[in-house]
Amino acid sequence: MSSPSVHRQQQRRSDKLHAGTIVSFTTVAHPPAGFPAGSRMVGLIALETGKQVMGQLIVPNGVTPHIGARVAPRMRLQRTTEQNLRVYDIAYELAAVVAQEQVEESFRGYILAISGPSGVGKTSVSRLLLSLVGDAVVHVPIVTTRKRKQSDQGEYVHATLTAFREELAAGRLAASVHLQDAEEERWYGYRKADIERIWAAGKLPVVITEMHLLQQLSQAYGRRSILSFGLLPPGASRRAMLSQLLHRLRTRGRDTEASIESRLAHAKQDLDFYRKEAGLFDELLVNDDLETVTKTLQGKLQDMKLA
Amino acid sequence: MQRDTFLIGAGQTPFGEHWNKGIRELMDDAVDKAIEAAPCSALDIDCVIVANMLGESLSNQAHIGAIAAALLPHHPPALRVESACASGAVALHTAIGLLESGRAETVLVVGVEKMTDASTDHVAAALMGAADAERDLSAGLTFPGIFGLVATRYMYEHGLSREDLSLVSSIHHQFAKENPYAQFRSAVSSHDVSKSTLVADPLRLLDCSPISDGAAAVILSTKHKSSMRIAATQLATDSVSLADRPTITSFAATREAMHSALAESDVRREQIDHLELHDCFSIAAVINLEDLGFFEPGKGVDYYRNPEAYEFTVNRSGGLKGCGHPVAATGIKQMIDVCKQLERSGKHYGLTQNFGGACATCAVHIVEHRAAAGASPFSTQ
Repeated sequence: MSSPSVHRQQQRRSDKLHAGTIVSFTTVAHPPAGFPAGSRMVGLIALETGKQVMGQLIVPNGVTPHIGARVAPRMRLQRTTEQNLRVYDIAYELAAVVAQEQVEESFRGYILAISGPSGVGKTSVSRLLLSLVGDAVVHVPIVTTRKRKQSDQGEYVHATLTAFREELAAGRLAASVHLQDAEEERWYGYRKADIERIWAAGKLPVVITEMHLLQQLSQAYGRRSILSFGLLPPGASRRAMLSQLLHRLRTRGRDTEASIESRLAHAKQDLDFYRKEAGLFDELLVNDDLETVTKTLQGKLQDMKLA
Repeated sequence: MQRDTFLIGAGQTPFGEHWNKGIRELMDDAVDKAIEAAPCSALDIDCVIVANMLGESLSNQAHIGAIAAALLPHHPPALRVESACASGAVALHTAIGLLESGRAETVLVVGVEKMTDASTDHVAAALMGAADAERDLSAGLTFPGIFGLVATRYMYEHGLSREDLSLVSSIHHQFAKENPYAQFRSAVSSHDVSKSTLVADPLRLLDCSPISDGAAAVILSTKHKSSMRIAATQLATDSVSLADRPTITSFAATREAMHSALAESDVRREQIDHLELHDCFSIAAVINLEDLGFFEPGKGVDYYRNPEAYEFTVNRSGGLKGCGHPVAATGIKQMIDVCKQLERSGKHYGLTQNFGGACATCAVHIVEHRAAAGASPFSTQ
């Protein structure tokens, strides 16, 4: 193909830069000259705009494409011309993650999520934040089956195990998690209705949450709906961070020694989670000074005109 | 038809690899046989129409009309037509137009392709010229790839199995055994087809027509008569890229050309005795049978389960798969084969369907056989 034809194609690129579904696909054993040797998967794609296009299909290992599957556009090196011109074009990627994002409903609003290991100061940060921008943000109540405690400060809505299971089965929960506890069946969750009520009032829902709930919220409303901040204890190493947490848990005096031990075990997992699932967080904040962290959060919300 | 047009002479080279023959020699062989069989002399030919697709890209040879005319003693006017794999039938259509208008009374139509000199990669790239260079090629498609897309979708929509699709090539090979001009005269089982090398999933090597050399020539005339009258010549087109079509499991150009051809010839579909259709890939044969109206959508492969069960015959020559597919010669060769079949069976109506690209050009011809109307267009030797 001549260079001018390459340029004409580039002008049409924006037409191809849309998500779509697979109409048909094939694997060409010997692609034309200039294309990388080896087999090449090509698809006929029906774009959301109503147009159909031919494009390379990018399929992750172990995933089989099927007709009707969703694909997202990706810029890829296609071939090298005789003049050594590297030609890029839109290819279409089929990926479990991409597929999931695409089937979600359209963007409904943001959810502010603060997560971090036990004892890092999530509650303190959120309380301070609420006092600063109180009008704009509302806590999403946590539905739980755990027993009432003296130290509870109105963040929980208590439910019986049967009632919780009913809500779960009816799909009324945006996220739910079962946490191991020696004494009782402990379930936690967020109700869709609560989150949607806050949106309807034109406010920003805030959740103080842990990793499982964060993942599920991100799946339920789409990753881009979650303004996700991870709080880390100060400390140069993992070990230093964990001893800082242990110190805080002991001094706040809310928990028994057995409970502290279990919280610390969870905290270890949480710290690993930050490393593995960095994509779930917009920012990681080190909570060495409560006020600084809260001001940072407030600044972010103001930047986005959410507070 | 404005005037009665007869096919008065026909000849072809065997299809296959002719390492010692170029475009000129291949044409010469076919034209010689056609003139020899015709009830007229070479000097009666008013005009030559050559069908060729790949002369420039594979043999560095354009201007093939004049080369063909130079094969005749009186250098008649000549022109070349190109419509990818449909070039042969489009040349027939062009010739009939000249005859109907009265500009010519006897026209020589010759289709020729010389493909085996070039490497497979080179041939594959040249054949991609039949697709949309800016929209299909840029994605890295080859022609088998385009029909791979068609086959994947067809299997999805109609539940066609790999085993059923394999019947098509195995039947075409079986028919080709009896055709002395065919490239492949060996039996191939449907199991062999299913196990052959993957070319463009789900299509395998034995689903694809081969690379071939060959030429085929016919002489058409309004002045001289024969037992074979052209009853209809119809041409239809569609968008070149599959991406611009509402469906890829049925070809609108075939449906349109067929509809017009039946109307033009005043023949009913049930009267057709012999068909030669364009099976460049096995899946195409299945789709063509449906688009020509002989089977319901999704049922085309039924023919290949038991060909003897039907009153009409399909691709008795071996089709493109068995005979070989020197692209521009194919449309003319189909016409010759249908005439041979009519002569052998003594029946009356034959039909050819020849398409280019993924049926972006489709020509349907209907020929009527009346032994009483004139002599056979084939050499009596």
